[in-house]
Amino acid sequence: MTGKYMPRTVILGVIGSDAHVVGITILEQALSAAGFEVINLGVQTAQDEFVSAAKSHDAEAVLVSSLYGHARQDCEGLHDELDDAGLDVLTYVGGNLAVGQSDFEETQATFRQMGFDRVFDAETDPEEAIEMLREDLQLTTTEAEQIRVDG
Amino acid sequence: MPTDERLSDDQLQRIANDLRDNWHTGREVDFEEAIAFHESLPASKQFAQVLESADQPLLQPRAGVPCLEEQIDLLRYLQDEGGADLLPTTIDSYTRDNEYEKAEEGLAASRGSDENELNGFPAVNHGVEDCRRLIRALDAPVEVRHGTPDARLLAMVTLAGGFQSFEGGPISYNIPYTKRHDLATTIEHWQFVDRLCGAYTERGVTINREPFGPLTGTLVPPSIAIAVMLVEGELAATQGVRSLTLGYGQVGNLVQDVAALRALRKLGNEYLRDEVTVTTVFHEWMGGFPPDEARANGVISLGGATAAVAQPDKVITKSAQEFQGVPTKEANAAGLRTTRQLIDMMIEQDIDLGGIDEEQALIERETRALMDAIYEAGDGDVAQGVINAFDSGALDVPFAPSDAAKGAVLPARDDDGRVRIFEFADLALPDDIKEIHAARLGERAETEGRDQSFRMVADDVDAISDGKLIGRPGGDNSPAGGASDAD
Repeated sequence: MTGKYMPRTVILGVIGSDAHVVGITILEQALSAAGFEVINLGVQTAQDEFVSAAKSHDAEAVLVSSLYGHARQDCEGLHDELDDAGLDVLTYVGGNLAVGQSDFEETQATFRQMGFDRVFDAETDPEEAIEMLREDLQLTTTEAEQIRVDG
Repeated sequence: MPTDERLSDDQLQRIANDLRDNWHTGREVDFEEAIAFHESLPASKQFAQVLESADQPLLQPRAGVPCLEEQIDLLRYLQDEGGADLLPTTIDSYTRDNEYEKAEEGLAASRGSDENELNGFPAVNHGVEDCRRLIRALDAPVEVRHGTPDARLLAMVTLAGGFQSFEGGPISYNIPYTKRHDLATTIEHWQFVDRLCGAYTERGVTINREPFGPLTGTLVPPSIAIAVMLVEGELAATQGVRSLTLGYGQVGNLVQDVAALRALRKLGNEYLRDEVTVTTVFHEWMGGFPPDEARANGVISLGGATAAVAQPDKVITKSAQEFQGVPTKEANAAGLRTTRQLIDMMIEQDIDLGGIDEEQALIERETRALMDAIYEAGDGDVAQGVINAFDSGALDVPFAPSDAAKGAVLPARDDDGRVRIFEFADLALPDDIKEIHAARLGERAETEGRDQSFRMVADDVDAISDGKLIGRPGGDNSPAGGASDAD
């Protein structure tokens, strides 16, 4: 039983030179409350820091945040690095992903093509992302609740 | 680890000599000749004198563009059309990172085009003589506003260039601004800056220093902000600074903001040595603004009203274009005039608000508890104490990106919209104060029919831009189309 209900570990961080910390602080709280084990790398996190954290913590998902408009450049090559490290993890990206007023569906397609499993805009509630995470990790709500009680 | 001791003249000289070669303009700095330039300035350009002798709040905007002529035109416009009493020069991001080479490229690119390739004025690249041209061209005193963890060369060049006020400090320009600068190093760097200001002051040229009060600008509990102001004030005073303007950023609850400004002034005068003249500055709302100029003007007006009641010595104004980033000069001047209108209409009214004294007493008790913890953590030395207190979490700032702070404290508004602490983590506050916060947040939870949780924090962070003070469930009241009005 305990094995099944072990907390799932996720890596969280703001990529590149971006120093916007409020979003991931709230996301960290939300994920912890939902029973996840959260490794929060903080702001201004380089690609290799995401990769090595995912490896050393045996994480199941890497959640990348970016709010200053340079997400595409900052994320370029991240999936190659994950592959090179032999990691098969879920990857999400969210925030203000493009400079200016570009169409979100286009942005979504760009980031999906780069290898991200899910792409969110800055208006997404933490709960929505967590719901997706449960779905993608095939966690049932009951199990998630169980995790919270145990945690 | 640095201690709160005054740098010797030799140390000051040695560090200055080392810095001189970091960028060629550093070699233009000559202290004796700089004193002579400051002495040539009329009383109307003497920052501390103008600020400390004012009989009502002085208004100051933020503004900085790359090129000298454009910066002069911009500041003249804010002076003449906005009625700014004190002027700023906001420094670009490359300079804040000590990347003078990149700033030089951005400056060159800006000179060759209509676009600004830097987000501020690269004062180190301009050098001493261009700074003096700026000071000569304007009628009001000018302050350097930036966000630079290592501002030593910037201070050398701008003070020699005639600026008489310098914003920032080792905590307030580290914890909210960067991830990887350790506090011990930023304290050492700012001891140099403060000692330099002290050296001018001792020669009769008073340099005003202004620690950055709003910190992360995101629901910072007043006592945390005030404790940081007192620490930076003490560190600066040790180095010989005699004119200190302590800051505080609007949280939006009128009673709490007035109480906080009064507590800031009172504790500033109490904690800082008698030779120091303490003034206060109120920053209009530093959090997310509504994406709609009409509603943004409402936020600015509440700031003006608060300033009229609390009467700080200075107000840093915002513009209605805050949501979009750097405002046009017209919008920037309008923010000054909107604030002025509120202050001038309200300042002579005798406004009696209930609850200010109690709130002020609570803020003072909390601040004293934090200060006690800092002194204790440093065995009486405030420099060592603040480093150790941030390390242990006894002192903390919500939403701090810096590795030097835990960033584990979380604020939330109570049922009256006052900022309380939802998650204390290791913050050094006594249990009876924690109970007050918990009880106030409990009232809100009851009103809203939900548990106290991070969800309130998240809702509060967005509330003002969504059109409310408190992030109630289902409380997004921004009218349809509000976002597009900003275009």
